[in-house]
Amino acid sequence: MRKYAIFLGCTVPVRAQHYELSARNVARQLNIELTEIPGASCCGFPLKAVDAQTALLIAARNISLVSQLKLDVVTLCNSCTAMLSDAQAQLKNEDFRKEFKHVGLSYPNEVKVRHFVRMLYEDIGIDEIKKAVKNPLRQLKIVPHYGCHYMRPTELYGFDSAEVPHTLDELVRVTGAESLEYTDKKMCCGGSVLGVDEELAITMSNHKLSIAHENGADAIVSICPFCTVMYEDNQRKAEAKFNKQYGIPVLYYPQLLGLSFGLDNNAVGLKFNRIKPDTILEKSTAQNQRSS
Amino acid sequence: MKIGVYVCHCGGNISEVVDIKKLTASAEQQSEVAVVRDNAHMCSDVGRNLVLEDIKKHKLDRIVVAACSPQFHGKTFMDIVEKAGLSPYVFEMANIREQCSWPHFNEPDLATKKAKDLVSVALAKARLDESLSRKTMPIGKRVLVVGAGIAGIQAALDLGDAGFEVYLVEKEATIGGKMAQLSRTFPTEDCAACILSPKMADVPANPNITLFTNSEIEKVSGFLGNFEVIINKKPTYVNDQCVACGVCEEKCPVKIPNEFEQGLTNRRAIYVPFEFAVPYRYLIDESNCIYLKKGKCGNCKKVCPHDAVDFDQKAEKVELKVDTIIVATGYDIFDAKEKKVYGFGTNKNVITSLAMERMIVHEAEGRATREIGKRVAFIQCVGSRDEQIGNEYCSRICCMYATKLSQLLKRADPKKDVYVFYTDLRAFGKGFEEYYKRAQKTGVKFIRGRVAEVNEDSKTGRVTIKAEDTLARQIIESEFDLVVLSVGMTPGAGTRQAAEVLRMTKSPGGFLQEAHPKFKPVDTLNDGVFICGCAQGPKDIPDTVAQASAAASRAIRLMNKGVYAVEPITAVVDEDLCSGCGTCVSVCPYEAVKTEIKDDKRVAKVNEMLCQGCGSCSAACPSGASQQHWFMNKQLKAMVGAALGEEEK
Amino acid sequence: MIDLKLSDPHFKWEIMKKEGGEGLLKCFGCSDCAASCPVRYFDERYNPRKIIRLTLLGMKEMVLSSPFLWFCAHCHACTERCPQGIKVAELINAIKNYAVEKGYCPEGYKMQLELLMKMGRLYEVEDFDLKKRQRLGLPPIDKTIPDVAKIIESTHILKVLKK
Repeated sequence: MRKYAIFLGCTVPVRAQHYELSARNVARQLNIELTEIPGASCCGFPLKAVDAQTALLIAARNISLVSQLKLDVVTLCNSCTAMLSDAQAQLKNEDFRKEFKHVGLSYPNEVKVRHFVRMLYEDIGIDEIKKAVKNPLRQLKIVPHYGCHYMRPTELYGFDSAEVPHTLDELVRVTGAESLEYTDKKMCCGGSVLGVDEELAITMSNHKLSIAHENGADAIVSICPFCTVMYEDNQRKAEAKFNKQYGIPVLYYPQLLGLSFGLDNNAVGLKFNRIKPDTILEKSTAQNQRSS
Repeated sequence: MKIGVYVCHCGGNISEVVDIKKLTASAEQQSEVAVVRDNAHMCSDVGRNLVLEDIKKHKLDRIVVAACSPQFHGKTFMDIVEKAGLSPYVFEMANIREQCSWPHFNEPDLATKKAKDLVSVALAKARLDESLSRKTMPIGKRVLVVGAGIAGIQAALDLGDAGFEVYLVEKEATIGGKMAQLSRTFPTEDCAACILSPKMADVPANPNITLFTNSEIEKVSGFLGNFEVIINKKPTYVNDQCVACGVCEEKCPVKIPNEFEQGLTNRRAIYVPFEFAVPYRYLIDESNCIYLKKGKCGNCKKVCPHDAVDFDQKAEKVELKVDTIIVATGYDIFDAKEKKVYGFGTNKNVITSLAMERMIVHEAEGRATREIGKRVAFIQCVGSRDEQIGNEYCSRICCMYATKLSQLLKRADPKKDVYVFYTDLRAFGKGFEEYYKRAQKTGVKFIRGRVAEVNEDSKTGRVTIKAEDTLARQIIESEFDLVVLSVGMTPGAGTRQAAEVLRMTKSPGGFLQEAHPKFKPVDTLNDGVFICGCAQGPKDIPDTVAQASAAASRAIRLMNKGVYAVEPITAVVDEDLCSGCGTCVSVCPYEAVKTEIKDDKRVAKVNEMLCQGCGSCSAACPSGASQQHWFMNKQLKAMVGAALGEEEK
Repeated sequence: MIDLKLSDPHFKWEIMKKEGGEGLLKCFGCSDCAASCPVRYFDERYNPRKIIRLTLLGMKEMVLSSPFLWFCAHCHACTERCPQGIKVAELINAIKNYAVEKGYCPEGYKMQLELLMKMGRLYEVEDFDLKKRQRLGLPPIDKTIPDVAKIIESTHILKVLKK
């Protein structure tokens, strides 16, 4: 049994419980134990633009909490991954450690910070995951969306490839679904500018929605609650602004993986998806029936 | 003891910061100092004569010059001291420019204080200088030239013509190097093959040049005037009887991409590198020959009318003795696959500039290798000025070769749309700016903006470039038929190997380090070893040829008199203190120290010819037995004492 | 229009002192950042090269008062490609931090700071949320994390914002 601390952040536990639920259920299937972090707070990312130092300290406090548990930590949100990784790296810096100690924090054990999906790819591996796939989703065409802080900046993560990312594609393909090859795979969802200029943010998210639409994709697969806000919650706004009808479901990766494991709709929280993934259900169930 | 102290103003470089009056006054107070003078330019004729006359008039026996770095003018003053009849090693230099007035320009008082200290330190050392003398050694006229691209060819021909005995070693099967692959040369548009091939032909025609192709230097030991070289001559599996009739090639079943043609055409496993190769003889590529790999086939041997194919050929070691060495190992083009955003290697419509050179040659000769298409874009600085891939330097040639290739394309077909995306356009050489203007007139469009990415349409295969035109301040996203990556230069495998075999120093970019960037641009820190061409750093053909001739002439300067002077700054072992532990032997980079039994005791012995005076052994010696002339321990102690302001003893 | 008389020679050094600002001087203006930037792609009012250039020129007020400074999505597309190895996204963030110190903090960020002071998280956890979590079999979470306010109080940021 593999054991990790799970860092939920702000958005996931109150706005994207289906992401959390599916991640936990998928983890269980893969013999992974996820441990809660008592006292965990916001990762600090929302304050980075105001004061990087304050943001880093808030992140470092969370790292400190994980450190007491003697575990490595996995995250569900790309921004949390970035912020915690940054703080973890900063803890090697003498000046930062001083400040860290000054606010009464300690770091007794080295902590490795990774996105939940990266952990699946690195620690479980495509081959092991493949063994758990009981219901290959062969008819589905998926647009994988990596989001910005999953593999960028390279200097911080040293994982996958910033220019030609492939891990999420591989993880989508292992479910039996087709992972669409498309230009601008690395494009930002626009989430970070939503608070500054909504029109711009919607224009940015529309870019990938239109690619998914033109290619007849069944769903966009996301691994970050911010990106999902842009593609799912704001899809109507993009449709209105650009006079289009998309209706493209946005799944969290663990939801897709869960379906391929044969988990039922409730176990992956499908009913909480705002854009109803009816085609997904149809195609995955059809598959189910044929294979049974 | 009578010491003369000379303070240089360096035309204001020093005197605008350091208070010369205070400095000379302080020097006058020091013991044994007989004369103190200052001059606007100590290195000038006037300055030098001051020293010369004072030595004679005041019978000076130690000289201290406070001026620039000894690297710069040390030799100038040592020559004067020697001319006056003294040992050149009773001279010291206090560097009050690079180590004082330049870095401390904004703190004149402290700088003056530091200058006084530096002079005191030099005086402390000078008082303990020994009258060392240079020895002279006989030297012959044999030169090893490593690498036979245009640099090595030029150096070898100059030396051969001057009557020196040249051994020219090339790792490839032919001489000619990268220049042989080029279409035309900028800015004059000479046909590269047409101007290179006669020079290549001159090499075997020169009676003083012995050529080794398909060969590498494996080991070099010894020193200036006495280098011992081992050359590894790799087998070509074709002997001297080959007349290049080509019968074998027709029967060879292997087809692989031709490296010389950048993969645009195929070649066989038995082949001639290209049509003007020297030597013009077939060779077998052992990694692709079916017979050499599996023992089957052998078609070439069967059909050869001259019995020239010899599968039993083995590598041969050739031992040579030479007096000087010229390294002309050149460069490799940057491997564009490292730059993933540009899609080279995965997208067939993205090629390198070297492939474009070959395409233009083929087009001109009426045997097109592939469709170039209507819209062509050049991307500059691929592998240059890029810290993401670790190459900070500018490759110097790409701006102009892209200017050349783009206008050759445009002139051949005015309907083509040709664009060059650049970071900065550097047209610095003679005739370059004019050539750049001509390209603009021809209709090539130059866009200032580094290309961020090249994307491939998975259906059509067409490529889209994304960049910002920084002058128009607009994003450009545009489709092209062909994208040409203007790849930069990297220190080639040959250069890396030469650096290792010859234990040479490298510059930050990995190219070979010259002894002085301005005054010794083709010398190295290894006596008798010279560098030229792109092994030293990126440069174009005229600069390469100039450096090659310079390297030849610097080598001739050493060899021509038949004798040369040896620096006496070598290690010296106090045999009473030496325990024979051999630490010095293990740290010596020049294999100049050995231990031997003397009077029943193991002691270290220094070969003064091999010793370069680097000081490694003196620093490592646990008993203080190993010291270095001109830097004896008592001198170093006195210098430290003076720096710390201790009273003179 | 730029009036170079208004140039503040200290501005670039101030930015370089900040976390992430170190690489500023290395910029050679190639615009790989702008061509890689997803925001710039859709909205030309934002241009990282322009911000860096104006910072190098010392145009302090122009840079700090520009609403477009805040358009950076911090996506690091630029950081990956800058041929000079500048961490461009971190550099822009350093300029944002400096702008906050000089009184140019957007209201949205102030609100986020207040939320974190109050609860230690961005979204309020209501009883409804806790019940929903319980129903789904998800573990309970803290409604507030007061330690976050302590950390924020330990830094200079509150004082800066009060000014």
